[in-house]
Amino acid sequence: MNNNENKIQSDNENRKIERDSTYWRSFEELNNTPEFQKSLQTEFMSSPLREESKHEGTEADGVARRDFLKLMGASIALTSAAGCIRRPVQKIVPYNKQPEEVTVGVSNWYTSSYFDGQEGLGLLVKSREGRPVHIQGNPKFPLNGTGASVKAQASLLGLYEPNRLQKPFRNLFNEKRTNKETVGVSWEELDAKVVESLKKGGVAILTGNISSPSTKAVISDFKAGFNADHYAWEPLSDDVASAQATSYGEAVVPGHRYDKAQMIVSIDADFLGTWGPTMTNNKRFADGRRNIDKMSRLVSFDSTYSLTGANADIRFKIKPSQQFDVVMGLIAEIAGKVSVSESVKTAVAPYNGIADKLGISSEAFKKVASDLVKNQGESIVVAGGIQTKTKDSLALQTAVNYLNSILGNDGKTVVAQAGNKNVTASYDQIKNLIKKMNAGDVKTLIIYRSNPFYSTSADLGFAEAIKKVSTVVFAGDKMDETAVNAHFIATDNHALETWGDTEFATGLYGIHQPLIRTMYDTRSFQLSLMTWAFMAKVGPKRIQEFETYYDYVRNLWKTELAAKVGGGKDFDAFWNGFLQDGFVGEVAAGSARTFKGDVASLKKTNSSDSAFELALYPTANIGDGTLANIGWLQELPDVVTKIVWDNYACVSLKTAEANKLREGDVIELTVGGKKLSLPTHIQPGLHDQVVAVAVGYGRTHAGDIAKGVGQNAYTLAQGDLLSGLPVEFKKTGDKIELVTTQGHDSMEGRQIVVTATNKDIEHKKDANIHRHHTWNIWSGHQYNGHKWGMAIDLNTCTGCSACMTACQSENNIHVVGKKYVMQGREMHWIRIDRYYTGDVESASAVFQPLMCQHCDNAPCETVCPVAATVHSSEGLNEMVYNRCVGTRYCSNNCPYKVRRFNWFNYAKLIEKPMHMHLNPEVGVRTRGVMEKCTFCVQRIKEGKNKAKMEERPLKDGDIKVACEAACPTQTIVFGDLNDENSRVAKVFKSEPRAYELLEEWYAKPSVRYQSKIKNNDEVTAKKGADHA
Amino acid sequence: MLKRNPLVLGNKSLKDVTDDICAPIERVPSKEWMGLFLGAKGLFIFYILTIAMVISTGIGLLGVNHPVAWGTMIITFVFWVGIGHAGTLISAILFLFRQKWRTSVARTAEAMTVFAVATAGIFPLIHTGRPWLDFWLFPYPNQRGPLWVNFRSPLLWDVFAVSTYATVSSVFWIVGMIPDLATVRDRAKNVIRKKIYGALSFGWRGTAKQWSHFEMIYLVLAGLSTPLVLSVHTIVSFDFAVSQLPGWHTTIFPPYFVAGAIFSGFAMVITLMTLVRIGFPQFKNYITIDHMEVMNKIIMMTGLMVGYAYGSEFLIAWYSGNDYERYVFMNRAMGPYAWSYWIMVTCNVLIPQIFWFKKFRRSIPIMFVVSIFVNIGMWFERFVITVTSLHRDFLPSNWGQYAWSIYDTAILVGSFGMFFTIFLLYLRVLPAISIAEVKPVLNVGKEEDEHHGKGH
Repeated sequence: MNNNENKIQSDNENRKIERDSTYWRSFEELNNTPEFQKSLQTEFMSSPLREESKHEGTEADGVARRDFLKLMGASIALTSAAGCIRRPVQKIVPYNKQPEEVTVGVSNWYTSSYFDGQEGLGLLVKSREGRPVHIQGNPKFPLNGTGASVKAQASLLGLYEPNRLQKPFRNLFNEKRTNKETVGVSWEELDAKVVESLKKGGVAILTGNISSPSTKAVISDFKAGFNADHYAWEPLSDDVASAQATSYGEAVVPGHRYDKAQMIVSIDADFLGTWGPTMTNNKRFADGRRNIDKMSRLVSFDSTYSLTGANADIRFKIKPSQQFDVVMGLIAEIAGKVSVSESVKTAVAPYNGIADKLGISSEAFKKVASDLVKNQGESIVVAGGIQTKTKDSLALQTAVNYLNSILGNDGKTVVAQAGNKNVTASYDQIKNLIKKMNAGDVKTLIIYRSNPFYSTSADLGFAEAIKKVSTVVFAGDKMDETAVNAHFIATDNHALETWGDTEFATGLYGIHQPLIRTMYDTRSFQLSLMTWAFMAKVGPKRIQEFETYYDYVRNLWKTELAAKVGGGKDFDAFWNGFLQDGFVGEVAAGSARTFKGDVASLKKTNSSDSAFELALYPTANIGDGTLANIGWLQELPDVVTKIVWDNYACVSLKTAEANKLREGDVIELTVGGKKLSLPTHIQPGLHDQVVAVAVGYGRTHAGDIAKGVGQNAYTLAQGDLLSGLPVEFKKTGDKIELVTTQGHDSMEGRQIVVTATNKDIEHKKDANIHRHHTWNIWSGHQYNGHKWGMAIDLNTCTGCSACMTACQSENNIHVVGKKYVMQGREMHWIRIDRYYTGDVESASAVFQPLMCQHCDNAPCETVCPVAATVHSSEGLNEMVYNRCVGTRYCSNNCPYKVRRFNWFNYAKLIEKPMHMHLNPEVGVRTRGVMEKCTFCVQRIKEGKNKAKMEERPLKDGDIKVACEAACPTQTIVFGDLNDENSRVAKVFKSEPRAYELLEEWYAKPSVRYQSKIKNNDEVTAKKGADHA
Repeated sequence: MLKRNPLVLGNKSLKDVTDDICAPIERVPSKEWMGLFLGAKGLFIFYILTIAMVISTGIGLLGVNHPVAWGTMIITFVFWVGIGHAGTLISAILFLFRQKWRTSVARTAEAMTVFAVATAGIFPLIHTGRPWLDFWLFPYPNQRGPLWVNFRSPLLWDVFAVSTYATVSSVFWIVGMIPDLATVRDRAKNVIRKKIYGALSFGWRGTAKQWSHFEMIYLVLAGLSTPLVLSVHTIVSFDFAVSQLPGWHTTIFPPYFVAGAIFSGFAMVITLMTLVRIGFPQFKNYITIDHMEVMNKIIMMTGLMVGYAYGSEFLIAWYSGNDYERYVFMNRAMGPYAWSYWIMVTCNVLIPQIFWFKKFRRSIPIMFVVSIFVNIGMWFERFVITVTSLHRDFLPSNWGQYAWSIYDTAILVGSFGMFFTIFLLYLRVLPAISIAEVKPVLNVGKEEDEHHGKGH
């Protein structure tokens, strides 16, 4: 209170209020008593700021009234603000007792692993306040390094899926097993019933590949206890391991050192997209090509348009039945140049000059052979995947093994010693199981991580055979196609709730740590086996003595495995180190093995002369279909076709024209009497006699998201044959709109992805880059502190799309569904553009990751009427969601069109408990605001804060943005351009291959691309005035 | 000397003029009017419901998408703003140029302007993602920092341009009506009517001093309005021209847009006037075929101007040597939206050429049909500019199509409901022809006639 106010107050106190006594309201007023005087002065009792205790009755009106008005103003402001600002109304409560390790607002990273039946990855999982929210590759892990496949990253969503089962169930069937009722049971009841059945004998276990030593130990203990049989089968099994067994004596999928190879020949092995450890392969492949002066050459014989084919320097289109011809042809070509036995020479003689029959230029084919010979010991020939599951599959693999052996690759680039012995599941095993079930020898069948009801064709006879099994126990977390046919569902944990270990390469062990306590009343499969063994009192002691699977795992390590790799350390120290690093051991070095196979007698059996051949293939995002219910994967554009939410029959343009097919026309495929109707996709660069269809779609019981997405192509298989089958098709007249995220496949001659060949860059490293003269009429922004920038090497980008899922997970990007993608409303902040080059017949592909370019002269910033998108002092183009009104002018003015708009209130649609996957460091955008790549501003802040706390300057590499962190090939590099020594600054300053996208538009993007090099010994024809 | 046609036919006395013009206000509406009004009102209510749906659910109900982030709402906004131009042109510019023929059409043309701008003004407000925050587009003192608007954004210029235009043209319109409203007041037999029109006429008594003031203010307002005719659509064109999108970033846009606006405005005046002539036959004496012919000439001329602009755009795109620019224009004429381009060219350039023939210029049915075509063509012009430029720009991977939905149709059609509801009400409650301005020109043709005759 100032003096003036004090004065007023004292004046008031001293002055008696004089009243006119003509009119009075009360006796008090009439008499003008002191009480009345007092009440007059305190007339406005309602003032909230009266200090009644202090100056009761004497408080001056002036002060109170003024404060009252202030308060009124404030409350009006508050009430009106409450009306239009979306404030959360729920209470939030901080930790009462802070758990150890957890600091609110700070993320913890734990090592863990992922295994999808094919590919094993060492991971880092980010946890915020006890919830796993993001998955990245473990950079130290010797195999995949930073790479985390889209499936591994998206498996996070599986944890929070509303369709997950939350407790054990039981299916009650009628006599014929045609009708059923699902009822919930207690674990006690289920265990009692299952054990009762197990005790009757005739126990079999069907699983997918098991890569965990502990799980294998539990299964073998269980087998010992119940005298059970174990069958391992994967729908995507091929014959690589079986052929290794016949050729070299041991079933293993060898480790392929694409980084050490100069010449890679892939015969339908999509090692970059879908076959084998794709992230490891991507990493190694890119390592072999990073140095453009000594980069490897990839030759692909492709019967589908695979990601590997898309990355090939030289791609040949073939049909599946030609795979064997190709390998034999190559052997025949090199037979004169490397030592080959006479019998083999005779055997391959008919394949001399096969190239012409395959429709391949024989000159090019000879060159492939001579390149192989030139790079003996530094080349790889590889075939694999279900695209090779033809009648000749085993012969093909044997021939490939032989070729690698005679080229001296075995032990150098094809390393069995560093291979994976845990991915040897095969169709033979499920066939044996079916035989046994048909014979009535199986009374109880336990199915774990396997879905044969969905992923086998009818003629394999699984569904018929299982009817003879009296008790089927299913361990899984979904009521899937197989679960609905099981008697008991021993609901399994999600992988992120389970302990485990891994062995993805012989001698290299990984840990699988759980990130969250089981969310529901579920129990791991391993603990179920342990419980049943315990209840039946059978099996070795260790399966019966532990209460949790964690104890079992730890015990196994303590007693057996630690001794192998622990190096004699104290176990607790070893164990802690193991958990911290995520792995122990190392990838073994290789040595050559003796080829024991018989090449001379290999005969081609599949001489189908059918007009069209079927090639089934998995996609990189959906794979075998297990994760089909995850929206991120369904909305992730196919790595090659860029189509989302569907599978389709790929045909070549010529075939389409001959049959009057247009994109989306439904055709009915007939394979050996089985029919399937699918929309047509016209795929450039496909063999004219191939119809390629992706498996993994058409799930009926995967959940709400996968329902109705595509058709189940497994049904077209003939038993264990998935490729090279004769197929006929006819147009049905229906049409299904195929939805792609990419509007146009050609660059229209524009400088978008600059491609040069190894010959082009011999003299001029920046070949084919047209530089523009640009100038400025204003001084530009000043960046005195940091200036963030990004460098993207298109030469190492394989288009694997891991960055897209990483971004989606990191930045809470919504999935909008097929209908809205069709309307152009997908929300991805980073996308991978794929352009075809060359003619349609033999289209070659290039990839380009595209995100907000954070332009220095950002066109979006100037046009926003409310200044909702602004330039930061560190060169970021910042999007202020709160301020955004949603005029969308910024998007119109963005030459890269990387901005995404919230057309609807997507956040409201997040079903519980899916909201738990949201990254708390990034806001969930409301309806009607624009959003886009922020260069992971939250990670920048985190990195800066960390450096500040540690009182040190920020180092290059401290901050890794999400896309960069997930990239297996280190294509994306993020850093400070003001730091002269940062990797980005070097690229910006001195990399000749670096260029700005749409440089002439002079938006001055903070992203530079490096041109793509095709190592194909050709010279790019010079265009005239190619580009303005 | 050329013979001048009389501006008012039928040998009207001063009283006749007042009676004729006040008649629609003073009688029970006809069945036809009721029918039209109910139809328009139904459409208007439908429009309001559609807007409510869009605001409550999201702008995603319309076809706007990535890459075409502006669609029907912006197209229709520019369309209606354009329509508005004829009114001010007739009432202000022609007034300053002492074009006496303007008197009988000025009032209604200007009413059309006000209503068209009102109809248009809704679109920028509802096309945003969060319409409830539209007030952020205005630079008002606030406690958010204070957070100011971005004066560099053409959208902001648009806010000023359109709101200024709306304000000035409404004031001009209302002020111009004061003497007529006083006339209606004086003729009123009903007390309430007298009160209402009394209030609206601001106590007009028709004294010489008032007339003097009135004419001065009218002149001043006409002077103020004149630059607005050019500025509003210039600034609206800046929304496009200031961006850097090929197909939008064009220096020809301001004159091209203004010409187009006048073109479409006059077409709409023709449409409305032919309807008014049918609805109120006594107006035929005031809005004569001569009036219509003059406007048709303007339509033909501005049609040629937009035609020139279309051609010039192609020439410049070719001459620039810029790939993106060239592609956009080739794509307009031959791409997936070629149909819209050719609708535009046909309606705006080819069809108005029929007015080279006097016979067609003076034929009510023909001019009505032509005016409808021009209206369609001008809507498509904005469609072509907005959609075809956006749908295929720099990076082919972004290319897409506009996802036209039923809501786009509803918004487009509904806006006509709003316009016609207001317009029909206007015809019923306000004098649709300026009584005060027509009276002085009663003798225009006649005087000359007599004079001419005397000379012989």
